[in-house]
Amino acid sequence: MIQLYNVTKRYSGESAAVKDVTLQIDKGDFIYITGASGAGKTTLLRMLYAAEKPTKGQILIDGQNISRIRSRQVPYLRRKIGVVFQDFKLLQSRTVYENVAFALEAQGKKRYEVSKKVYQALKEVGLEHRLQRKPLELSGGEQQRIAIARALVVDPLILLADEPSGNLDQEVTFEIMELFKRANARGTTVLLATHDHSLNQRFPRRVLTLDKGLLIGDQRPAGMVS
Amino acid sequence: MLDKIRYFIMRALRNMRQWPFLCSASILTMAVALATVATFFLVVVNIEQLAQRWTKEIQIVAYLQKAPAQKNIAGLTKNLKGIPEVESVKYVSPAEAMKRFKDHLGEDASLLEGVDRDLLPASFELGLKPEFRNQQGMKTVIEKLENLLDVDDLRYGQKWLERFNDFARMLRFVGVILGGFLLFAALFIVSNTIKLTLYARRDELEIMALVGATMRFIKTPFLLEGAIQGLLGGLVSLAFLASSFVFILSRSIDSFWLAPTDFELVFLTPQQQILLVVAGVLLGILGSLSSLRRFVRI
Repeated sequence: MIQLYNVTKRYSGESAAVKDVTLQIDKGDFIYITGASGAGKTTLLRMLYAAEKPTKGQILIDGQNISRIRSRQVPYLRRKIGVVFQDFKLLQSRTVYENVAFALEAQGKKRYEVSKKVYQALKEVGLEHRLQRKPLELSGGEQQRIAIARALVVDPLILLADEPSGNLDQEVTFEIMELFKRANARGTTVLLATHDHSLNQRFPRRVLTLDKGLLIGDQRPAGMVS
Repeated sequence: MLDKIRYFIMRALRNMRQWPFLCSASILTMAVALATVATFFLVVVNIEQLAQRWTKEIQIVAYLQKAPAQKNIAGLTKNLKGIPEVESVKYVSPAEAMKRFKDHLGEDASLLEGVDRDLLPASFELGLKPEFRNQQGMKTVIEKLENLLDVDDLRYGQKWLERFNDFARMLRFVGVILGGFLLFAALFIVSNTIKLTLYARRDELEIMALVGATMRFIKTPFLLEGAIQGLLGGLVSLAFLASSFVFILSRSIDSFWLAPTDFELVFLTPQQQILLVVAGVLLGILGSLSSLRRFVRI
């Protein structure tokens, strides 16, 4: 599903944020990307949804080489990928319903289809009773669940989450993890960047470790076939 | 397709409702910019109109060496009227000239007592057709005139005409330069105001790009919004111009010493009014387009 070959990303005048990373992620995988702040987790994810282009190397997503993707093609790539952020990135002036519907409208889906899918996605994250609320009226955990509903409503092949639990307490974090696990069980490949090791202890999965841009570890839990 | 257009219009209108302050700021900026340009245009047009009326008084007076015999006057008048550039011909006999002179002197007319009635020369006064009331027209007529008449002297306000021509040329030149400058300034201000509204909505633009919206999908509602704001700005400027024209200018013009009493101020023609509103729409679209280019990056 995702292949990286000798991928390097260097910002002008700085040392490389990601250095010579080669890895392969299969369809339906659930992967943690760990490392200290500045290890290159976010840069790696940003390259996967084409917000950044690699300075060197090749990235293939679902068979498509996106290393030199044209900006006209980027929206179509992003329709296969759901992204969740630490700061939720919700539109504060819009209702919960509108925030989730936004992702489908952007893809030009018909209105009846939009309302049906939005309701299903919000039900999936347990917020179907909050349709007309504004994000700021909700708790942090609920806001992150809206963001996850927005990412999943388009049935993405891949779900990228950049420190999704950074602003949440542990109980809410585990609830959020359940949502990621359920999406993964339905076939979505999940990549979760985090520096919270307790997640892996509780939900053991394959862990990629980055340090100063280098991939220094690729561990699979015992019993998991490579 | 219709569904999409409807969606874009709804989004543009919703955006405007959500940011009423920024939206009104854009509309007002465009209205002020358009009204300034249109006011300047009206000033130029009206001065030209006024000047056009003054040129009506331009005429050629040909003083004859000898007064023609009475029976030849009609023939000469006819010949002069045959010149294509000439609109009117009036013969002024020496007696008529003396009478005018006396009228002009008023109380001092007694000075002329005992003076020969035929002292002043006979003359023809020629009015020109409007399109020939300029230096070139004058020259042509004078050349033809000299072949037809035994002319002693010619008076045609040459200096005045030259100065007027220079003035009209300068007015048009300043009009084009200043009008262009004003339009450019308007575009700059409008584009910056729109940039401000886009800056306030940069999260929305970023999220749209993240969820896979195409450039067209992101830009269209903003361009539409710019067009709607431009349309409203155009209408506001037109309403402002029309009301200030009716209530202030046209009422005070009678006391304006420069204008002849029968002079009426000119307002924008219906076509020009439509053009003003269309200019507003274009200004809105161009303003949005130039700002969007900076803010929307996928």
